[in-house]
Amino acid sequence: MKTVGVTRPIHDAAGKASGNTKYAADVMLPNMAHVCLVHSAIPHGYVRAVHAETALAVPGVLGVFHCFNTTQRKYNRYRSRFSQELPLEERAFADYVRFVGDRVAAVAAVSREAAERAARLVEVEYEELPYAVGFDDALEGKNCLQGQSPTIKEFAAEFGTPPEGGCVDVESFTQFPPIHHATMEPHACVADYDPYQDQLVIYSPNQSVHGIRVVLADYLQMPYHKVRVVKATMGGSFGAKQEWFTEPVAALIAKQLCRPVKLVYSRAEAMTCAVVRGAVRASVHGKYAPNGTLRSLDVDLVLDAGAYVGNACDYIASIYGKLFRCYRMEHVRYRARVISSNTPVSGAYRGWSAPEAALFTERNLDAAAAKLGMDRIDLRLKNTLMPEDIDRKSSLPVEDIRIHEALLRGRELFFWDRLCEEDAVFNASNNRYRRGIGVACGGHGNTYYPRHGDFGEGRAFLNEDGTVQLVLTVHDHGCGTVTAMKMIAAEVLDMPDGDIYLGEGDTAVTPVDFGCFASRTTFVLGRTIHDSALALRDTILDRASELFDLPRQDLYVENAAVRSKSEPGVCISYREVAQTTMLKRRRNITAAAQFANVTNPGVTGAHFTHVEVDTWTGFTRVLDYLAVHDIGQPINPGMCIAQIQGAAQMGCGAALREELVVGKDGRCTASLSKYHLFLAPDLPNIRVELLTEGRSQEGPFGAKSIGEVSFVPSAPAVCSAVNDALGSELGVLPFTPDRILTYLAKEKEESL
Amino acid sequence: MIVSFYVNDRLVQLETPPERRLLDLLREDLHLTGVKEGCGEGECGACTVLLNGEPIHACLTLAIQLEGCHITTIEGLSAPGELDILQNAFAEELAIQCGFCTTGMILSAKALLLKQPDPDETMIREALSGNICRCSGYVQIVKAVKRAARELREAAV
Repeated sequence: MKTVGVTRPIHDAAGKASGNTKYAADVMLPNMAHVCLVHSAIPHGYVRAVHAETALAVPGVLGVFHCFNTTQRKYNRYRSRFSQELPLEERAFADYVRFVGDRVAAVAAVSREAAERAARLVEVEYEELPYAVGFDDALEGKNCLQGQSPTIKEFAAEFGTPPEGGCVDVESFTQFPPIHHATMEPHACVADYDPYQDQLVIYSPNQSVHGIRVVLADYLQMPYHKVRVVKATMGGSFGAKQEWFTEPVAALIAKQLCRPVKLVYSRAEAMTCAVVRGAVRASVHGKYAPNGTLRSLDVDLVLDAGAYVGNACDYIASIYGKLFRCYRMEHVRYRARVISSNTPVSGAYRGWSAPEAALFTERNLDAAAAKLGMDRIDLRLKNTLMPEDIDRKSSLPVEDIRIHEALLRGRELFFWDRLCEEDAVFNASNNRYRRGIGVACGGHGNTYYPRHGDFGEGRAFLNEDGTVQLVLTVHDHGCGTVTAMKMIAAEVLDMPDGDIYLGEGDTAVTPVDFGCFASRTTFVLGRTIHDSALALRDTILDRASELFDLPRQDLYVENAAVRSKSEPGVCISYREVAQTTMLKRRRNITAAAQFANVTNPGVTGAHFTHVEVDTWTGFTRVLDYLAVHDIGQPINPGMCIAQIQGAAQMGCGAALREELVVGKDGRCTASLSKYHLFLAPDLPNIRVELLTEGRSQEGPFGAKSIGEVSFVPSAPAVCSAVNDALGSELGVLPFTPDRILTYLAKEKEESL
Repeated sequence: MIVSFYVNDRLVQLETPPERRLLDLLREDLHLTGVKEGCGEGECGACTVLLNGEPIHACLTLAIQLEGCHITTIEGLSAPGELDILQNAFAEELAIQCGFCTTGMILSAKALLLKQPDPDETMIREALSGNICRCSGYVQIVKAVKRAARELREAAV
């Protein structure tokens, strides 16, 4: 292959390096109003009055919007396709507030400063209600939502039959807190409304333009064609920009003011008022054969949805499905509950339920290895899915899965066995530092299928100069989707990817699509654009055959030209084919293809970590990190590696540092000064090994997904290393210095 | 107040409240939107610009501090349509994903290279410790700065 598999920068790298690329917050339109939100100051209660007089008197203020002067209609932030039946939960401005940070009002003004100043002057009167913060409150039955039980939903499922005797029982407990996506770009949205055409335009960084359209059009009672949603440059998402809370507010106000409005979140808003990964706790009972084979996994899980249920009911069901993506499961009993509390709203986060499944599964596997006296890699090797196995939940083949190979390759590249010995020597030789190594596996999917039907539609046009334009609903998160799609088409058409244009999602231009999530982009949409390019290639060959009187079966494409196997002298450029077709046939050369996949192959990875814990300070340093991924054919390998390294960074953070703490007063961490991310000096040179032989059957050129699966094993691998270093069984994340020192103090006390 | 200072070597005079942030002067008054707001509290580094060659947070710098100062923004590194050696290294070494941290990251690296033309990896990582990138593991960013340092040294010979 000439293009696929050859690394190149993303399409807008130069624009981003120069500062020229425009993000939603950079957009300025004539007559644009700036919107600033007012948030609930209490965790639970009713809004009894909003006093806006002082705010309205601020020069430049155009309006103050709240529950008493805007629609009572509601929408569901998680909805992204027409067929989802979900309860309508949220108003643009709440009359019944459910958490500190719930939207209560908004001020629109001619300048950002005036809007901010006026927002501080809006007075809200509340009737306060009792509230619940976190698991313990809710599980004790404290009612966090009026008229509802703290337990919103229960889900139970069982696969296989429980083993009869002869097993070693292994109990483990895992809990992780709400975490912040920390996209460097806080949420932002521009909305414009033309009352004469009843046309609404939304411009926002998002993962589904059609998802927003479905929600907004239904919420504002507009026909779908009157709502145009355009995907803006995305300053990071990781799931944070796939649920809708800025767009409905901006749209409502734009419609009311009949002028463009811009809403840009502050970091505090992005942390507390947008979406978080919900807290989860899981008690797990594993049963293992003495040789390490996992015979049964019994999981009791609780997810704190926060103040709005959003995706939580689907999420707990999805965790069950993810249990089958990496290991051979003989028997799984799974019970899960969604609880609600007066805390920030849980939602999508990179990996969508697979990281949770991995955290508690990998902890149990580590505990089993310790109990059985086995090496942690050896125990995993006994249990991995193997090529040609079946995903027992979906009944689909996992195809050429390479998780077994990933473990073996990682063991070798990481010098696992040597590190085991070296760490033992190191730990015996000093009183302060403890070193340990960790391993974890993770699996994910490539598509919604079979949970939902999945398909894509793409179109391709040959321009009169021989360049190509593609139409496909993609949403580049920054990881190079546009480039990858162009590379796929370039490979099919045997032309430079620089001669191909592809825009991003725009409901006025690109076909209905279910959004860039579920790791479906490369697998489903990549294959769709592959097939569209193939259809264009066929059309080019058909026209060349007709117009130049050449036998069709002899023709092929090479270097953006039509060649003939029987007549080596024939070389008709794409430009000539296009122009001749237009002049002689009065036709354009265009093609379209739809693709509906019927597979969802296994896509997995194994991560290896080496850490050093300072037992005096409790601080953990990551000394080395290796990620081995079973990726199939990488389209743009360098960018796959870059994404995986980013996932490793996120996993280090989730394992060791990141936690949104909700205080007893319902207030949540709202500053990056109190939310610690991994920075350049904190990380080693993260190594990545791609296993490319396990090709998918349906993905473009055998590609599989990478964006989400790369995050799945990362935090569990770091946790595994810390527990190895300390000989501990810590399961409550993150392993902050405080938690580690508390553990060490307890251990010391017990040993006395 | 009226403040006079240099932005990318051009003198600007602005009528502004003294407490207005440099970030807003650049983005809103001068339309230099290459400087980004990621946190507004000096934690993320997305708003990094150079003040007299030193990296600063434009979100924590006020108009009253600017009289006579030289500010360099990302737009000042290269002519329109071009990239300088450092910007080009970021683009080609795959050090850019979502790009929101990029301009601040490049300016922090620029400040380092102004002082230290041959930094080792530790120095590079330290110099970038105030700039958060959430997409990467910093590997390509470090590589880009190393490459730019090498190319700049070669260009100086």
